[in-house]
Amino acid sequence: MLEVDHITFSYGRHRVLNDITFDVAPGEIVALTGANGAGKSTLLRVLSCLLMQDSGRVRMDSIDPLLRPIKYRRSIGYLSEHCPLYSDMTVETYLTYRVRLKGERSLRVRKRVGEALEMCGLDEVSKTRIRLLSHGYRKRVGLADALVQHPKLLLLDDPLAGLDVRQRKKTAAVLTTASSRAAIIITGHEIPEMLDWCTRFVVLGKGRVVGMYRTSDFSRADMALVLDRLITAEAGEEAYP
Amino acid sequence: MTAIQVTWLREVQAFRGAFSCGVPVTAFLAAFGWTFVMTLRRNEGSVLQIQSIWGLSVAPWLPILSAVLTMRLFAEERSTGMIDLLMSSPVRERDLVIGKFLSAMTVMGVTLLISLAVPMLILPTLSAPVQGTARVAGFIATFIILFLQASTWCAAGTMVSIFFRNQAAAAVSSLVLCGGVPVVVYFAILAWMPAVRSETAWMPLLVHVYDFSTGLFSTAIIAVYVVTTVFFLFGCSKLLACLRLRG
Repeated sequence: MLEVDHITFSYGRHRVLNDITFDVAPGEIVALTGANGAGKSTLLRVLSCLLMQDSGRVRMDSIDPLLRPIKYRRSIGYLSEHCPLYSDMTVETYLTYRVRLKGERSLRVRKRVGEALEMCGLDEVSKTRIRLLSHGYRKRVGLADALVQHPKLLLLDDPLAGLDVRQRKKTAAVLTTASSRAAIIITGHEIPEMLDWCTRFVVLGKGRVVGMYRTSDFSRADMALVLDRLITAEAGEEAYP
Repeated sequence: MTAIQVTWLREVQAFRGAFSCGVPVTAFLAAFGWTFVMTLRRNEGSVLQIQSIWGLSVAPWLPILSAVLTMRLFAEERSTGMIDLLMSSPVRERDLVIGKFLSAMTVMGVTLLISLAVPMLILPTLSAPVQGTARVAGFIATFIILFLQASTWCAAGTMVSIFFRNQAAAAVSSLVLCGGVPVVVYFAILAWMPAVRSETAWMPLLVHVYDFSTGLFSTAIIAVYVVTTVFFLFGCSKLLACLRLRG
């Protein structure tokens, strides 16, 4: 479904992504992981059309975002690392605004918002102003925003960061449900938890793909060990014994 | 609803509760009121019509109000990171720009209408010869030229706000562009060609207001303001697109 083909990107002279190639099938949950500064967020920004690659190609169902940007962006849902939201709006009005902005027909807006609120467990705070919400709830609103229009591809930048165990489990449950109709690419460092529900791990190091592993090919313990060693080696640190 | 309508509605709602809207509009009306009364007193017995006094009292303050109203349009989105969500949505850059610009123009239009209440309230207390100079068509023409000038300042301010994450920096830069550059250019032309002084005793921008308020309608002047506005808005959408190149 998604083909990432030899992507290269630089900030000025500093090369951040170097010849990244992988693909994602429908229903997959792909975890992009690696040390800080490995290029995970930049790669997601390229895939969500926020940055234009220097070379290489991205295609989703043979749609090139550089040639047909609106059609491509209609198929993706993006959650930014810092989860920005309009604090002056209530959760419901914010999601309504976002669905309308994404071009949903007026008749379906209410239905889409209702589904997203229910899926992310936001019913009880739907009339609450966003500025009054905790970090966990704000993340859920961001997730609901990404999910609200049933995208084919979800791009989630560190959705588990700063969440407690209960919230992380809840987010994992939402993503597992969402994977039935969308491919998901998620970045993060919470490997032990992501092992439970991600189908594949792509490890980045200094802008390159340094490893790609299917969770079904390894036992949970082996996979955790392999990933830990790879990431710490790329970061130039000693692995924990 | 189109993306332009959705963006316009969101921004108008944001303006409604924003500190950066209520305070500048109030300050603008106070400054205009003071200028209006002073101009009225200074021109007692002159041939200056009441709609001209209204127009000439409003026009100098428009760049300042525009700069303050438009400073948050994109600078706030960039500082909060909302620009990422907007740019990854299936929306054209020009739709975002037009929606935001129209919201600022909505506030501008309402403010101009409120300012119109001042001459309307004062008019019955003025002497009969002054009352005789007031024309509905003159007020409409003055409103049109003020609205056109406001649209140019707002478009310029919207473009400037894309460059900044800090709203205050955006406002100051916009003020320099809208308020400072025309004055500097005017005085530079006068210094370069002193003979022009006899033909243009006032700033051309104020001359446009005076001409329209006295019935000297010019399609060329309208075209200049419309083209300048469109140029700035086009620049805005291209600048937004350029954000994708450098992040």
